[in-house]
Amino acid sequence: MRLFEYQAKDLFKQYGLPVPKSILVSDVGGIRGAFGSLKPPVAIKSQVLAGGRGKAGGIAVVNDPAQAEQEARRIFSLPIGGERPNSLLVEEAYPHEKEMYLSVTLDRGDRAFVTIAASAGGVDVESMAGKVIRRISLDGIDSAFAIEVATLLKLPPIQVGAFVSIILSLERLAREKECELAEINPLAVGKDGFLMPLDAKVIVDDNALFRHPEFAKLHPEDEFEGEASRQGFAFVRLGGDIAVVGNGAGLVLSTLDLVGDAGGNPACFLDLGGGAQQERIEAALRLVNRLPGVDRILINIYGGITRTTDVAAGMNTVLAEGVMKPIYARVSGAEEEEARKLLAGTPVKMYRTAPEAVEAVMKGA
Amino acid sequence: MMLPKQGDPILVQNMTGRYGRLHTRLMLDYGTNVAAGVAPGKGGQSVEGVPVYNTVQDAVDKTGARASVCFVPAEFTLAAGEEALNTGVRLLVIITERVPIRDELRLVELAQKRGASIVGPNCPGLIIPSQKVKLGIMPATSFAPGSVALYSRSGTLTYEIAGQLTGSGFGQSIAVGIGGDPINGTTPVEWMDFAQGIDETKAVVVVGEIGGDAEERLARHIQKSGYRKPIVAYIAGRHAPKEKKMGHAGAIIYGDYGTADSKVSALRGAGVKVAMTPMEVPLLVRESLR
Repeated sequence: MRLFEYQAKDLFKQYGLPVPKSILVSDVGGIRGAFGSLKPPVAIKSQVLAGGRGKAGGIAVVNDPAQAEQEARRIFSLPIGGERPNSLLVEEAYPHEKEMYLSVTLDRGDRAFVTIAASAGGVDVESMAGKVIRRISLDGIDSAFAIEVATLLKLPPIQVGAFVSIILSLERLAREKECELAEINPLAVGKDGFLMPLDAKVIVDDNALFRHPEFAKLHPEDEFEGEASRQGFAFVRLGGDIAVVGNGAGLVLSTLDLVGDAGGNPACFLDLGGGAQQERIEAALRLVNRLPGVDRILINIYGGITRTTDVAAGMNTVLAEGVMKPIYARVSGAEEEEARKLLAGTPVKMYRTAPEAVEAVMKGA
Repeated sequence: MMLPKQGDPILVQNMTGRYGRLHTRLMLDYGTNVAAGVAPGKGGQSVEGVPVYNTVQDAVDKTGARASVCFVPAEFTLAAGEEALNTGVRLLVIITERVPIRDELRLVELAQKRGASIVGPNCPGLIIPSQKVKLGIMPATSFAPGSVALYSRSGTLTYEIAGQLTGSGFGQSIAVGIGGDPINGTTPVEWMDFAQGIDETKAVVVVGEIGGDAEERLARHIQKSGYRKPIVAYIAGRHAPKEKKMGHAGAIIYGDYGTADSKVSALRGAGVKVAMTPMEVPLLVRESLR
């Protein structure tokens, strides 16, 4: 679960990390008050989860209240990666001469957490020059480790104290809150060696959320995503017109690829999960049937532990409930023939292979 | 890698749960010697005629099992995994989904210390058709004995591809669900080396997906080691959006890291034949073995 910048900065404060003085506003009306209580220049920052916020125009630095209001209005209505902000972070600009990079992140390939630090910040971590990557123990790091990183970065002595304190705090935050990523980019270098995190990116391990009830209420949920998660489906909205439903993440992903290759636009990715029972098929069909933008439904089921007859029975139940968008179903595997019989005479179009079903759903456009 | 042979005893952890019961029966049906179950507080019960013990230690003492299939819920998987690895289990297959990353890392560390192997978590397990060994939840009907080693990050997609291979006359020497999480107990590189050493394996099929760099690492390994067996790959998620978890915790693209294109081109660069659809996999296997 990725946190919004303001949520991540609240977490930074809890862990003793410095952050610029800021106020969160949820509408344009609040902007003048916020501006008035901060020292200009002030940055107005769109609170979205999508990347590339700066480039997309989601951040503005302003010097007077009228300009603040004008920029706030613009940023509130600016979608970034299809996402509009519910709030803006109004924050004092921090005068600085240089920017650094620091993160604690999972290195999947090396199966370990690492810290990545660079004395020159940048947009792209991959191509950062002179970066230092050090493996960190699951039990944490100590001052000696922190000083070693500072030394490898060739930091001037005046910055070492601040850097050590920041890396120790950031690592403790990442470990205790079970983050996949805790990142400061940029970490501004001010006068007198003071270091100030200007942005904060935190991604919490979804699978560890049961140990962190404090994160449970942090995100406003999309109605459909909320419903899907209550049902235990893996669900991603994609914005097109063909709902793609199947059993197994890999199978649904490969179905998205078949649709994409054929020039189609999936409306969603919905994985029923392994061993799906009839009720789950029904819940999934009801959900995608009322998803805005959907005009046909593509189902790809490979029956193994999931019984294809359960799938057919589930389809029959929702068909009997009334209007259902056209269903193109590839149902294969155990008891496939019985499943076909159950659906004979219904509007459901049945196919033996995924490419056949995809071809048909494309023609149904 | 210590894999069970026909008749070797295996354990099921959390045998008395819904999935534990169902799959104990299905593994027995396949011919696998499920010799004992473990469920704290349920010692003395039995499932499908298989005795249940309170601890892994008891089950290992009674049966000599060295392999375990773990159906313990995510909250307790770390503790159950530690118990197994600390009491003589050398192959731990973790089916459980949603295990926290840091718990997985602790288990990987412990397994390395004990000289044990973990398969998964978040995987369908492994199957060795010629030995009637099935440590997992895959439907037996998709698989048949043969000479293709199949390694995959998915579940159902693995069954689909196995079914197509089987239907085309290519049975499997082994099929392994590596796991859909960011951390895998055993990596594709390790499995690839394992396949290299098994004579009956004539070709390897790798089913990957977006997220991480396991396929890129595999490509580098293939090039560096001068791998000699033909390899066919399929990568799911060419049309997946960025920054979205696509069902599996590990199936997520960050920026340009973890894209299907990067994986496909790395594998092709290493001489691997990459299928564009699951249906193309058996065709490429046939071509490779010609």
